[in-house]
Amino acid sequence: MLEVKNIHASYGKVHVLHNVSIQVGEQEIVSIIGANGAGKSTLMRNIMGLYHPRSGDIRMDGESILRLKTDQIVKKGIVYVPEGREVFPDLSVEDNLEMGAFSRRYSAQKYKSLLEEVYEIYPRLKDRRKQLAGSLSGGEQQMVAIARGLMSEPKLIMFDEPSLGLAPVIVDEMFDVIVRINREKKLPVILVEQNAFAALSISNRCYVMENGVVTASGDSKVLMNSPEIKKAYLGG
Amino acid sequence: MSKTIKRYGYVLAVAAALLLPQVVSNTYYVTMFCLTLIYIIIAFGLNFITGMTGQMNLGTAGIFCLGAYTSALLTTKTSISPWIALIVVIGVGFLIGVGLGYPSFRLEGVYLSLTTIAFAEAVRQLANNMTDFTGGAQGVRNIPPFTVFGYEITSKIQNYYFILAFVILFGFISYRIMHSKWGRAFIAIRDNIDAVSTCGINTAHIKIIAFTLASVFGCVAGGLYAHYSSYINASTFTLNLSVTFVVMILIGGMGNLWGCILGAVIVSMLPEFLRFLGEYYQLTYSILILLCILFMPGGILSVVKKLKRKR
Repeated sequence: MLEVKNIHASYGKVHVLHNVSIQVGEQEIVSIIGANGAGKSTLMRNIMGLYHPRSGDIRMDGESILRLKTDQIVKKGIVYVPEGREVFPDLSVEDNLEMGAFSRRYSAQKYKSLLEEVYEIYPRLKDRRKQLAGSLSGGEQQMVAIARGLMSEPKLIMFDEPSLGLAPVIVDEMFDVIVRINREKKLPVILVEQNAFAALSISNRCYVMENGVVTASGDSKVLMNSPEIKKAYLGG
Repeated sequence: MSKTIKRYGYVLAVAAALLLPQVVSNTYYVTMFCLTLIYIIIAFGLNFITGMTGQMNLGTAGIFCLGAYTSALLTTKTSISPWIALIVVIGVGFLIGVGLGYPSFRLEGVYLSLTTIAFAEAVRQLANNMTDFTGGAQGVRNIPPFTVFGYEITSKIQNYYFILAFVILFGFISYRIMHSKWGRAFIAIRDNIDAVSTCGINTAHIKIIAFTLASVFGCVAGGLYAHYSSYINASTFTLNLSVTFVVMILIGGMGNLWGCILGAVIVSMLPEFLRFLGEYYQLTYSILILLCILFMPGGILSVVKKLKRKR
């Protein structure tokens, strides 16, 4: 479905991604793990067209999206839930969700049913729909960011560090929702995480990144038992 | 509850505006009121791009100038009615929005401000130096007034009510746009521009819509100004004026119609109330504005809101 082929990316003179290739198939959850500064977020940002790689190709359903702008990439069906709960603090929860649907011209009926769908996933957002997003807790803001992503009916959804800075109980809920979205909506998911254990346990396949290079990849269960991964990411 | 209070607020404000020149009928003051009303329209427009979308626009004087000159030259050089000129003026506002917006709204922050300053200065210099066409430093004289049902709008009081009608109309349009999908997208850009593009929204496009609204409002205000004062001159439309417009929405409260109205009224009327200070008035005025910005960065309206919340 999504294919990243041999991309190189840099910020100015600093090379950040070296020959990175990843693939995401229908309905799978693919996780990308690695330490801080490994290039995980840079990879996401390159896929989203927020930065453009120096070489290589990125294809969605066989069609190159390399030169498209972010808003056009979203229209192709890729949605990115950025790291750090990037909501619009001065808009209400419902208006935040409306922004997610902005680029699609839904009928009023369709819009309502989508809204009900995300409220079903996150009933708490329905209770707070008139509240300003800036006044919500961190976990709730993350819910808004995810729900907003779902409002454009994506074909693929990417989560960047969804657990960052959240309480452990809420982190578990967050991962449950990601699995649920993947199963119920049959949506392929890319999950970028520092919490390697959680990422490996919910994903089908995993890529391990280090200093801008993919150093290992394969079935998550196999990786979870590999001695190197255990040592480096899972605490022995 | 608060919605009904708001509605009453609008009705009260309109009623007060209708009564004002009956209570204070001194021609000098009515002249001031007319100018204030014109500034309110400009502030409504600037509110879209600077107040809601958060993009600094220091070129409003240029927009205002183009609107005024377009209408003035059209009606003095040809004999077309100011109403038809008004339609052309709206078209000019649209052209400025798209023509200037496309190249400049790819820029951000200080570069955008500089571009808008350059635009306004270029317009002013052209108006000043194309002597054959614009009258140069002598300006354009004998601009005919608007006519409504065959009556010419000539006296100050007539002008006041005429312009007030425009303020109400543009206030209503602003209100509708602010509470639409567009309005919310403007605020979203101010809040978090990267997240807007990851929502699949073309941010340059939204900024241009906001800027075009500002330039259409500014041009219409310019047209009204030209026919109201019957004489215009390029030296009115300086950078100083552009800054004054920004100060208006800053002091009143950004992103809010009441803020625009309050800001425009305070900034244009305050010098009058300080006149008794003689030569110290300019200094006092500047210090007051500075204090306002330092201690009420959200504008006067933010203080009102805070007091309400405490209660």
